[in-house]
Amino acid sequence: MKVQLVNIGKKYEGRENFTIRHIDLEIDDKEFCVILGPSGCGKSTLLRMIAGLNSITEGDLLFDGKRMNKVEPKDRDIAMVFQSYALYPHMTVYDNMAFSLKMRKDKKTVIHERVTEAAELLQITEYLYSKPSEISGGQRQRVALGRAMVRKAGVFLLDEPLSNLDAKLREHMRVELVRLHKSLDTTSIYVTHDQTEAMTMATKIVLLDQGKVQQMGKPSEFYETPANLFVAGFIGSPTMNVFHGTMKDGLFSSDDGLVSVEPGPADKDKLASHEGKKVALGIRSERFIAGESDKNQITVTIDVIEMLGKEQLLYCKLSNGKECVISEPGYFRYTVDEDHKFHFDPKGLHFFDEETTSRIN
Amino acid sequence: MSKKKGQGLYLSDQQPLTTVKTIFLVISYVLLFLYVFVILWPLAQIVFTSFNGNQGAYIQIGGTYAFSLKHFKYLFEETYFTNWVFNTIVIALATAALTLLFVSFTGYAYSRYRFKGRKASLMAIMLIQTIPSFAGIVAFYTLHSIVASIAPWFSRQMFLILIYAGGGIAGNTFILKGYIDSISTELDDAARIDGCGNLQVYRLIIMPIVRPMLAVIALWSFIGPFLDFMLPSILLNDPKAYTLATGLNTLITDQYNMHQPVFAAGGLLTAVPIIILFIALQKQLVSGLASGAVKG
Repeated sequence: MKVQLVNIGKKYEGRENFTIRHIDLEIDDKEFCVILGPSGCGKSTLLRMIAGLNSITEGDLLFDGKRMNKVEPKDRDIAMVFQSYALYPHMTVYDNMAFSLKMRKDKKTVIHERVTEAAELLQITEYLYSKPSEISGGQRQRVALGRAMVRKAGVFLLDEPLSNLDAKLREHMRVELVRLHKSLDTTSIYVTHDQTEAMTMATKIVLLDQGKVQQMGKPSEFYETPANLFVAGFIGSPTMNVFHGTMKDGLFSSDDGLVSVEPGPADKDKLASHEGKKVALGIRSERFIAGESDKNQITVTIDVIEMLGKEQLLYCKLSNGKECVISEPGYFRYTVDEDHKFHFDPKGLHFFDEETTSRIN
Repeated sequence: MSKKKGQGLYLSDQQPLTTVKTIFLVISYVLLFLYVFVILWPLAQIVFTSFNGNQGAYIQIGGTYAFSLKHFKYLFEETYFTNWVFNTIVIALATAALTLLFVSFTGYAYSRYRFKGRKASLMAIMLIQTIPSFAGIVAFYTLHSIVASIAPWFSRQMFLILIYAGGGIAGNTFILKGYIDSISTELDDAARIDGCGNLQVYRLIIMPIVRPMLAVIALWSFIGPFLDFMLPSILLNDPKAYTLATGLNTLITDQYNMHQPVFAAGGLLTAVPIIILFIALQKQLVSGLASGAVKG
């Protein structure tokens, strides 16, 4: 099912300002759309509006072109997985999964078929007759997924479903959710504040901040061409290094004078109109090249080393104390308090206008 | 708490007790046993007296004992005891049912809905709670005569039920609201997506979870009419319409109708319906169903 949001806005009763406003969004059929954003950005509100749990103050919500603003949640052809799983504690796993079908007055044989099918797919057949209190967190999460699956709904809504699991299980469930999405053949809308989840699972990411869409697109676009400084800082771990400075004679020079960078030929044209203006330069940690060079070079002192095996993160300080993070392969040998020279990869530079914070190149 | 030679005295999994602590332990046990005696001795006296055929109009302690059921016989044959039991049980059941029904609605509404005057009305309920219902006895009396002049079938017992239920609804609304507040609203959301309307959310999801609290409320509402003496003694004027507390009271206040051992026998039997209800609700009262609803 295709989900469209046209100029959607939400103002809670008793509040003066809109929590989110002017949201235009188009989610195609069978897409895995992740709504990403820091806490309090309105992403859960948006999902709850799609689900029909919160009213829509302005704008239109369309499912396959049909306006859904005033339709009851149960009639919207949706299924939802909640952060706390929200399993009914007094019912067995089986009854939890069968509940929505029973409410729809489906036949008993159909209910049984659907529940066992979902249970087999999620490998929870053993616990079908246990109460939610008797099974572990990971199993509860599967039950919550199963409860949503049996509805065979057109849209699958997930509200931070992995945030209560431990790291190992979360990693495992990420892959499993993508597999599930494929086999269910439905549209999925997934809300999270974890950028790793968004990057790994989504076919489309919508990044929200302060009630506005900051960027929308494929995961790779977010990493390679962040639309503004907020996106640049939010996506990617470790966080992108940002230097503030001005353009002088086609060269970027930082305010403290320690960094002077010549942009690549493609970027030069776009930066021409910013001559003499305030500009921010962003570079990801892996785009630093170890060793000396005749230009674009910085000298840093290594402060802390985080060894991750495959790579190592060097938390460095420039001579004036400004921090920057550089990642280098794990087999390079570095020691704390050493001085090292690195230079910038001209193809990995991101330039942002300081006034509007939006991307230049 | 076994004490062996050469070993210290231990309480659960703590350090061994010092001499001072041991003395305090002995003192607290002595106090506890005294307290148990104060509670249990009168109860034991009631049991002994009611079966003691040698007791006359007044209870005498330390007399001779002869087993007999004559006090019970007197109770059933010479008094309106069966009427009183029936009255009390009807009033208690009606009170419990009314209270449960209304508290379910009010508790759920106060917990889950936002509406104008929500806080103000909650405060009002709490403040009105501080006034004992007995203070309104004159108003109740007048109110009943007005109502009865319009609807003669509206008996004084029915009025009593309304007073008991009204008082119970106010106080228990708070208790149930607090209990429902502790249930995640995501359960409501899930139920709504699964196809429940407002009443179904309460009946199918919330009510089964709050069942232990509803059981407590039912038990207390049921016990209330058994304990109350004041309101029925003033409102009810026909001895046949009395409740147990008022009825039995006639056996110990009237010089010409003084039968204290019979009063003891009646008191003993009064406990029976309450014990039956307690046993019936026992499973609900001790269960902790809400665990495992959300993450754990």
